[in-house]
Amino acid sequence: MAPVLVWLILFLCLLISIFKYTLALILKWSVPGATVKKDYTYQPAVSVLMPCFNEGKTVYETIESISKSNYPNDRFEVIAQDDCSVDDSYEWMLKAQRDFTNIQVRVGRNAVNSGKARSVCNALKLSTAELVISIDSDCIFHPDAIRELAACFSEPKIGSVGGRVGVRNPNESTVTAIQTFIYYTAFQVYKVPENWTRSVGCISGCLFAIRRELLLEIEPKIRSRHWFGIPVNQGEDRFLTHQTLLRGYGTYINNDALCWTTVPATLPELFKQQLRWRRSIVRDLFYTLRTLPKHVWTLHPNTVLTLVLTPLGALLGLLVAITMLSGNPMAWAGPAPLLVYLGIAAVLSLVIRKYSAREAINNPLAFGAYLAWSLVSSLFITTLALCTMDSRDWGTRTKEQEADDGDVTHQESAP
Amino acid sequence: MATSLIKKVPPEVKPSVIQPMLYKSVVTIYRIFAIVTLYVVLVGVLSYGFVMGFYALNTSWAAPVILSPTDDKSLDFTEKLVTSRQTLEDLTVDVRRLDGSVEEMNQHRGALLALEPELKAAINREKKHDQATGPQLVQLDKQKQADNLKTQAVMALVKEVEAAIDKDLSAGLITKGDAATQRAALNQAESSYTDSKISEVLLSDSVLEKTTTGTKSMDVLDKQAELASEIAQLDIAIGVAQKQIHEETQQINRLRQALATAKQSPYYFIVSGDNSVYFAFVPYDNQSNVSAGTAVYDCYLNMVACKKVGTVKQIFAGEQHATHPIFKTDIRGFLIQMQLDHPESAKSKTVFLNRKPLFF
Repeated sequence: MAPVLVWLILFLCLLISIFKYTLALILKWSVPGATVKKDYTYQPAVSVLMPCFNEGKTVYETIESISKSNYPNDRFEVIAQDDCSVDDSYEWMLKAQRDFTNIQVRVGRNAVNSGKARSVCNALKLSTAELVISIDSDCIFHPDAIRELAACFSEPKIGSVGGRVGVRNPNESTVTAIQTFIYYTAFQVYKVPENWTRSVGCISGCLFAIRRELLLEIEPKIRSRHWFGIPVNQGEDRFLTHQTLLRGYGTYINNDALCWTTVPATLPELFKQQLRWRRSIVRDLFYTLRTLPKHVWTLHPNTVLTLVLTPLGALLGLLVAITMLSGNPMAWAGPAPLLVYLGIAAVLSLVIRKYSAREAINNPLAFGAYLAWSLVSSLFITTLALCTMDSRDWGTRTKEQEADDGDVTHQESAP
Repeated sequence: MATSLIKKVPPEVKPSVIQPMLYKSVVTIYRIFAIVTLYVVLVGVLSYGFVMGFYALNTSWAAPVILSPTDDKSLDFTEKLVTSRQTLEDLTVDVRRLDGSVEEMNQHRGALLALEPELKAAINREKKHDQATGPQLVQLDKQKQADNLKTQAVMALVKEVEAAIDKDLSAGLITKGDAATQRAALNQAESSYTDSKISEVLLSDSVLEKTTTGTKSMDVLDKQAELASEIAQLDIAIGVAQKQIHEETQQINRLRQALATAKQSPYYFIVSGDNSVYFAFVPYDNQSNVSAGTAVYDCYLNMVACKKVGTVKQIFAGEQHATHPIFKTDIRGFLIQMQLDHPESAKSKTVFLNRKPLFF
């Protein structure tokens, strides 16, 4: 009975996923209502909050890319908050402040290493703008990014807007090629049905715009996040998005607001990053289960589906992988699946090459590695995430602190 | 504008004094559980990898197979066996029947063949007799005709004699008795003449029969032809029957051979109701480790702590297809019969032939 039930659930998830992807393509190509109405005359004051930890010169390049923004310079500021980096990140921030005088750059530093989420909150203290954009300090931003994000807030019900995150280094290694597939499909397909009902489940922290009042309201929750007394410094982007939805606001991804991030190039880095993201997903599932009974009747059905299905999919992926490996371990290596994989790889590679030439993947066979990674991801990362919910030190940029309180966590944001 | 949409969220509940202790306990229990789980996962992954590698490299494993009379293959085998046996019986009966028919036809043919020379001899005898008597009859016929011509001339005088008798009787020259006697003599003469004419005609017939080919001869020839035809037909029938016997005999031999082979099949044991026979599937890759008398080992966890549980009794020749017990792929191989001292080993997922897989 139990295996039948598992397979039924898996089949249902597969069906919903297929439905969601198909719906995404239909919406993308034929339903104008799936896109938010943008008003470019709406130009509120914007604070770009940039928490930073051990980024080195990259932080300078990031501020440089923002300084080239075509948003009116007098309508935005950059607030760079260093989280006690052990490298020369802070010096690069100060240099950027000196060099890019066309915009207002404010530099702050945490008293102690506090993690990204709290660094954002600390930076928020310095902000007075109506709109806050939280960014990752290793990203390069398109000049239109701020303008595109701000234009979406002309819809009063929109609470948070995210940008499209592209991969700067798609061909650095097979690992980066894998992530290019993930990032591209996530933004261009998977989030489209969520966009339709303004219920994106997770806006990437790489480029996250939110109304200031809303962020101020959520800030105490961010600061007090804990897991049985252990402070939670990870997954603030998913948490912020979730909180936005629970407060009745809409969330949206504007794919015209572009930024480019350097993704992990080695398997250990990718593993750590994905583990952190998965932990955030699992944590969000528990939070959803806790809050859903209260909000289920007020949220849009698609929002409920998004909040439940994404983390549930991660857990069920584990079951799928176990069932497959124990039932018929060689089934995935047959000629028919191989042809399907190659077909998907070819189509996806061509699409990326055509619509996002900057992310064109030189070796489409990397898609095979993507599938192998999916198996590893489903099998181990979810399990590890479930067993390391108390962890705080999996940040990819964590370095030895010369003097800190041991509470060290920094990470890239999920797409 | 946007703040009007913001919903009030209830304030955070102030943690109680015992909450930190509760949290600490939960985290401690969670960490213990997590560590145990991760070790279990680690052991599971390593074991899985080891099992995969082990079965990818090992060439001595065999998968015990419990065959049931109700299996599809067994049922199919039973059906074929019954059909073959029935066909064999039918063919045997048919061959016997054909043998009997051929024997009967040969006897009949012999009798007909024996009749043919007698018929020919009779015909020859008759021919010779006709050749001898024919000319004599022709001569006699001519003589008879001449005699009859002479008698005919005499018979022309009978009318006159009759008239003279009547005249003499009227004249009272003779008595009625004399007249009657004389008339009777005349009638007898006429009757003799008629008989003589009949004889002449009959003689002419005889001459015709003796000197020409008549219908009677044709009948005889027809009979002769019929006889020859009947013999020829018998020859054909005997030939066909013998050919059929030959073919059916060959088919019988083939069927007997097939049944003899079938008796070597593992399914024969099953359909025969022998439940104490144990089988195992051996992939071709592991063929080198199998021979009659080879030791069979059953292992704990399918690879360790092995013990000898029997020997290989028989190797079956027919190819079998099976699913790999670990990789679940289709594989080709053959079945062996095992002589098991521990029948429960027949239920193991795998057994090992010839040697212990890990030397213990």
